[in-house]
Amino acid sequence: MTDKMMIQIENLYRTFHHGSNEVPVLKEINLNICEGECVVLKGVSGSGKTTLLSLIAGLDKPSSGKVLIEGEPISKLPDLFASELRAKKIGMIFQHFNLFEHLSVNENVTIALIPSGLKMKEIHEKVAEALKVANIIHKKETLASRLSGGEKQRTAIARALVADPNIILCDEPTANLDRDNSLLFIDILEKLHRMGKTIVIATHDPLFDSLSFESTIIPMVDGKIV
Amino acid sequence: MNANAFWHFLTLQLFKERSKHLSIIGISVMILFLLSSVLFISSSLRFSLEETLKVQPDFVVSRIQGGTTVPTPVNWGDELIDIYGVSKVASRVYGRYFFEAKEGSFLIVGVDFLEEQSHENLQTLIDSTDIQAFFSGSQMLVGEGVKAYLDAHFYKDAYNFLTPKGMFEKVNIFKTLPSQTNLIANDMMIMPIDLARKILGYANNEVSDITFSVPNPDEWNMMTDKVSALYYDLHVVNKNDVQKSYENLYNYKGGLFLILFLVVLATFTLILYQRYSMVYSTERRHIGLLRALGWSINDVLKFKFMETLVVVFISYILGVFIAYVYVFILGAPLLKEVFLGGQNLHNTLSFIPIVDFSVLTSIFLLYALPFIAAVLIPVWRVSVTDPKEAML
Repeated sequence: MTDKMMIQIENLYRTFHHGSNEVPVLKEINLNICEGECVVLKGVSGSGKTTLLSLIAGLDKPSSGKVLIEGEPISKLPDLFASELRAKKIGMIFQHFNLFEHLSVNENVTIALIPSGLKMKEIHEKVAEALKVANIIHKKETLASRLSGGEKQRTAIARALVADPNIILCDEPTANLDRDNSLLFIDILEKLHRMGKTIVIATHDPLFDSLSFESTIIPMVDGKIV
Repeated sequence: MNANAFWHFLTLQLFKERSKHLSIIGISVMILFLLSSVLFISSSLRFSLEETLKVQPDFVVSRIQGGTTVPTPVNWGDELIDIYGVSKVASRVYGRYFFEAKEGSFLIVGVDFLEEQSHENLQTLIDSTDIQAFFSGSQMLVGEGVKAYLDAHFYKDAYNFLTPKGMFEKVNIFKTLPSQTNLIANDMMIMPIDLARKILGYANNEVSDITFSVPNPDEWNMMTDKVSALYYDLHVVNKNDVQKSYENLYNYKGGLFLILFLVVLATFTLILYQRYSMVYSTERRHIGLLRALGWSINDVLKFKFMETLVVVFISYILGVFIAYVYVFILGAPLLKEVFLGGQNLHNTLSFIPIVDFSVLTSIFLLYALPFIAAVLIPVWRVSVTDPKEAML
């Protein structure tokens, strides 16, 4: 872990509108995450963890406040720059894996590099490397629809890693995995942590309460950090 | 975005979702085939008509009494030739001859050997015919439809006409007219004028109508008025009127198909639009996912545009090619009957391959623009929403 600030969240609010009702999901969130840090956002369903993760990834826009990624306000950037920032600096692992079911493992990982401007040869090299790190290279030609939950998760990890981002965001990464696969996932996380990646995990899984590597647990209740 | 990587993913996506794309291409090809066939047929017919009308006289004068056409006095021709600006006056004798009641009929056209204008018209219709040999006996030139019809009824070389006086008149078949003339000459029998008079019951001083030319097109309107003023029962028609009536007929039939096409296209477009804009569709989720992986709105739009363009081009080329083969090589079976149906003899008209650039462009625009819009508008709407919402 270094002192370099990777993620800065300042006075962040997110409110949803249901008809005339306003439902506040995140309230007054202030958080700083340094390079190489592993942060676990813990809380029950509805506590706002996933929404916070989406705001950090720029997949959603805050009602007020701001999110800075390496000093750049992702929610305020024009689409072209926000997309580029997302492609190069953020790797996202979703709860439901979000793979293209009709594509193979290899192709699913390749997609993340298409907008990067790299040549196909470089893309193939990077994809192979990511598949090795995620320990899924042996299934690279298999269609995503034919993978087990654990294999889908490892494919999603490879896809998140392929652009060599500094930040890895994981949304309920073990919610659809059995215990063995969950432990395997944590092993990979440890590997990423050693590689110096900044990791933010939103989870309610008790497995993350006592990780074998240095991590910060941030509890969330009713849209607030407590 | 690297072009190679982009095309790699595009071809991959097209291949991996081939059943989806093939079904869209299949429907598109059917729609395009129908539209192209109709436009090819109407442009080919228009061309044939224009070519045929080019050699026709500019004006036709006939006599109408009591609202019906009666024989025209041959001496009207002398008065017409005296009008300044009129040239190439020729008289014609023609009429319908019914083979048997309720069966086919032939159009008998009598040509005057002594009239230079009739001579010229005939020569342009049948380049290789020896005119002198033709006029030397009781002979006729027949359209392809007539020839086929007579052959089917065992009149191989000649036909016995029954004159109004109850006498039989045997006329030999001299030659069959070329198939290019089938649009107007399919059921035609061309014979010397005296022979036509005998068969149709005209007196020697009577003709069916008189034709003439007016080389200066600016005088056509004035000439119509001037000629009409000669006799109260004189009826005059110019070539433009004939052309308009034919065009109206073919445009009407083509228009019906165009409406049918637009209805089908609108339905298809609506289905596509709904598929792409469905709130929880796979397409929507895929777009959201691409955005989440760092694809910009431009990247997504460019990708979907190119994907759609490939589908559109393949469909367009296939649809137009199949229509070309169907119309110009196979002769448009079934569809030809819609355009040429109602003729009393079966017409073996073959369509002259006329494909002009404007027709091809019209087909492409009529099809491609609504298709691309039906895909891109919902894709753009999904792209500009937050990826998280799109992925729900």
